[in-house]
Amino acid sequence: MLSTRFFGSGIAAACLVLCALPVAAQSFKVQCPTATPSHPSDPADAAANPAGGRIKCQQISGGDGFATMGDGTQTYLFGFGPLSGLKKMASGLPGTDVQSEFNVDNTSGVDPIFIGAPVDQSNLDVSAYSFNGAIGLVPDPQSEPTPGALTGHVDPRLIMDVGVMNANQPAPLMAIDEDDEFFLTLTNVGQVMRPDLFEQHTVHFHGYPNASAFYDGVPDASIAINIGGSFTYYYLAPDAGTYFWHCHISPPEHLQMGMVGQIYVRPRQNRVATAGATAAQLLQSLEVSNSDAVRNPGANGVTCSDILCTGQTPAPTAAGVAVAAGTKFAYNDGDGSTRYDVEYPIQIHGFDPNFHFVGMTFNPESFTDMKDKYFLLNGRSYPDTVAPGTMVTQSTDGTLHASQPLPSVINIPVNGRALLRISDLDVTEYQTLASLGIPMRVVGLNARLLRDMAGNDMTYLTNSITLAGGESLDVILDATGYTAGQKFYLYTPNLDHLSNDAENFGGLMTEVNVCTAVDPSTKACSL
Amino acid sequence: MRAMKTNTLVRQLRRVATIAAVSLLANAAQAAAPGITGTSFALDAAAAYITQPDGSTVYSWGYGCTTPAAAGTFRPTTIAGGNCPTMQLPGPTLIVTQGQTVTVTLTNNLPTRAGATSILFPGFTVTAAGGSPGLLTREAAAGSPVTYSFVASNAGTHSYYSGTQSDLQIEMGLYGAIIVLPSSPPGVCTAGLPTTNPGGNALARTNSGEVNFRLADAAFNHNDSCYDREYLFQFSEIDPRIHRAAEEIVNCTGTRCPGNMDTVATEPYLPAYYMINGRSMPDDMDPNYSMQYPHQPYNGNPHMHPGELTLLRIIGQGRWQHPFHEHGNHVRVLARDGNLLLAPGTVGATTPLAGPLMFTTTTTPGQTIDGIFQWTGKGLNWDVFGHGSKDGAPVTGDVCVPDANGYYTSAPTAQNYYEWCGDHNKALENKPFGSVGSGGPVTLPDPNIVANGPWYSGSPYLGGEATTRAVGSTPIPPSGTVANSPTDEAGFAYMWHSHNEREITTNNIFPGGMLMMMLVDPRAYVIDESK
Repeated sequence: MLSTRFFGSGIAAACLVLCALPVAAQSFKVQCPTATPSHPSDPADAAANPAGGRIKCQQISGGDGFATMGDGTQTYLFGFGPLSGLKKMASGLPGTDVQSEFNVDNTSGVDPIFIGAPVDQSNLDVSAYSFNGAIGLVPDPQSEPTPGALTGHVDPRLIMDVGVMNANQPAPLMAIDEDDEFFLTLTNVGQVMRPDLFEQHTVHFHGYPNASAFYDGVPDASIAINIGGSFTYYYLAPDAGTYFWHCHISPPEHLQMGMVGQIYVRPRQNRVATAGATAAQLLQSLEVSNSDAVRNPGANGVTCSDILCTGQTPAPTAAGVAVAAGTKFAYNDGDGSTRYDVEYPIQIHGFDPNFHFVGMTFNPESFTDMKDKYFLLNGRSYPDTVAPGTMVTQSTDGTLHASQPLPSVINIPVNGRALLRISDLDVTEYQTLASLGIPMRVVGLNARLLRDMAGNDMTYLTNSITLAGGESLDVILDATGYTAGQKFYLYTPNLDHLSNDAENFGGLMTEVNVCTAVDPSTKACSL
Repeated sequence: MRAMKTNTLVRQLRRVATIAAVSLLANAAQAAAPGITGTSFALDAAAAYITQPDGSTVYSWGYGCTTPAAAGTFRPTTIAGGNCPTMQLPGPTLIVTQGQTVTVTLTNNLPTRAGATSILFPGFTVTAAGGSPGLLTREAAAGSPVTYSFVASNAGTHSYYSGTQSDLQIEMGLYGAIIVLPSSPPGVCTAGLPTTNPGGNALARTNSGEVNFRLADAAFNHNDSCYDREYLFQFSEIDPRIHRAAEEIVNCTGTRCPGNMDTVATEPYLPAYYMINGRSMPDDMDPNYSMQYPHQPYNGNPHMHPGELTLLRIIGQGRWQHPFHEHGNHVRVLARDGNLLLAPGTVGATTPLAGPLMFTTTTTPGQTIDGIFQWTGKGLNWDVFGHGSKDGAPVTGDVCVPDANGYYTSAPTAQNYYEWCGDHNKALENKPFGSVGSGGPVTLPDPNIVANGPWYSGSPYLGGEATTRAVGSTPIPPSGTVANSPTDEAGFAYMWHSHNEREITTNNIFPGGMLMMMLVDPRAYVIDESK
């Protein structure tokens, strides 16, 4: 039950982690079936699969690494890093793959896999990197009936090359759609900087309705993967909304040290509007979806069948709007009220530099004295929050690693709407985020649309939101009536949080730009 | 229960972990919402020492019963051994009925230097008599009781706490809960769930020999407030420095002692103990009225069966907010401070609810929340009972006949009662080791490369029957050595805790603090909340 220090020599233990495990004792493996009972064939085009959903996969490492704080300090992390979707992650996108992107032979020779990937060590460039598949995946010489198939068998050398010291802050972003099956493989590569530790890691899908204890990631209530092994978590995508995930091993420690990330679920209503939809069509699709969730043909689809509205949303009492082709929504709203043009994950977090120093240097940890001094939006403090592209940090081996892939600058097309998916995993205190300029419309709270059981709109306008660790909400910024070129700020009125340790300017702040147009995938602003 | 790794704390931690393990294995306590009932309560305020799982004792003040409460006043009556000492933390939970006039007489038995004390009943119109006038209400000095009376106008969960030098007295422990039962619970609730499952859960409970531990059939005079189980959680913190400072003044001898508590600084505030119902984990999972905690009678250890509607009564009693994260599902907030949240329009027993759905219910100082939690497993896309076919043959004879909402509620004696039929027979594992459905999407990891938690039931499946089929008669971990034995309870365990994660520590030691395990138990396991 207790981790004790078996080795007087850190070097010996490091050698054990680095040398012995990959060769002899590893049980790395990924899982991403090409077909399942729920998805007997995985259509290349979701539109060809009206029942909805696809097989989605992702692999992450559990280990350690470094990130760069707003004052330039290198901070030690316990963290998760990407072991699939590296190209997407480096582009600031969710690293989640469909199975055909995930299941790519690493030995095909077309894609580079190297220490520090995806960072080109010579020129810091990540744009040349193109591989999105599962790191380590190679043909299985023992596969049945034909040897050489891709079965999830991996070459651990590739995983260790990429996965060691590649902790990200925040942890890899994940995004799935309702009706997807999601296979998340956690590969525990060990913590090179802490050879005294034999830490397991887990993934807790925070906020998932009707979670199973087995895949809930609480080590006390389930199993946790040891160093050198992989564990694949399996969930059918839950109801649409903004969730988050984190390690649940010794949470006060592992969360403070950085093992926190976001996962969001897009609504099936997105598939209704691929060719545009009238208000009546949106409402009808919600009622059908509600009825399907009860599996009772007699259900009216207007009201929820249970007190928690499992899989359902009360039909709106107010009239909806028609939407254009390709419109995206935060929720299955039935009225278009949560439509948006571009979405931004915003994860709030805080780091206590003393705790991180102690975490790196084998000293006793204090929880009662924990005091955050770095205040982070997507792992960065202002002004790093508005720096484009991936931030890289040099690790102890002299190699540069992509440490903080997510900028937080918010570009909104003029007269358009931005969805901010805000989650908070701070472990010490409440955090407030205010919008200077465009007011915030809070449309969702804890991954549920704000609507009462009679269907009344419960969304509200505000200039600030306050979250504790363990909460999420969804905000829409509507740039209707604003002018391209206007710049506003999203910042914390907890004014002592507008700092980067000793620097008295920075912290929990980012910029909001009104643009002529915004590319929905790169989120680039054109003025 | 992974622990910390620092040399200096290992020894201390090992001791705590051992205590934790022993207490976990010694019993499987369950919770309910116990208290005393009546219309007239004689309370006192007194000093005593409470205990924390790191072995420390903390000098505290609390409300209690001036004289031992009559045996017949303890609720629920199905919990034996109720007691109400002269000092307890939190104070006695007062259980009254909506519309009743409630009288509380407070006697001040605190040490003289603690000064006067009082009780506030927020949300009620209080008449105070006796004692002496104070800032917020009339106060009781030593030997001069004060009487408060009010009409319990709103059903639901309420708090009471000191209105005298509150920054110190509430910190010291002078707070408690009032549960107001509805004046006319809807008839539809007396039989169980209303529209979704008339009487089914009550029938299942009776069939399995389970006792009813509810205080009422409904939380409010509202059809959607029916419930099957209820638990009360009061969140508070302790900064031991403040308690030491108060204790030093009380114990001071000589001629130069302070005459009152004015010199006790209540800032800066640095709590080391984070408690649910006055206990830190793992003590909170020991039984109610456990003799180990003579001044901390109430526990926090929720259990429920799939499909049961569980009423959560949550109070913030400290000075900090605590984000209370309920693993397993959302909570439908019914009411704040006893005020039912309803959609606009005519207010009645069928007005639709308007409270939010939350997976983290913040506790705010002085505020209460009533909410409903339910776990069914709906939407997992695999059969949690391990049904299905293997090698062409069904692994069990269990059936799942969906009711109007898709659950199997027509057979209250079935072991898979309240199964979500949409996932019936859907296998989880591709090629299972044991006799559960095959052909599913995943392959489980090699048991040799994972660590098992003490609440791990031994398989991904719910219940001893399914677990035995899945992993054989000697599952890992070996049966009988865990808190949630594969051959006995075999439930799904979830952690319910403060998500300001440093608050799940006890004086710098993880695990501890505001943390408890919630168990969704298979129907075959008898939940005995009196334990």
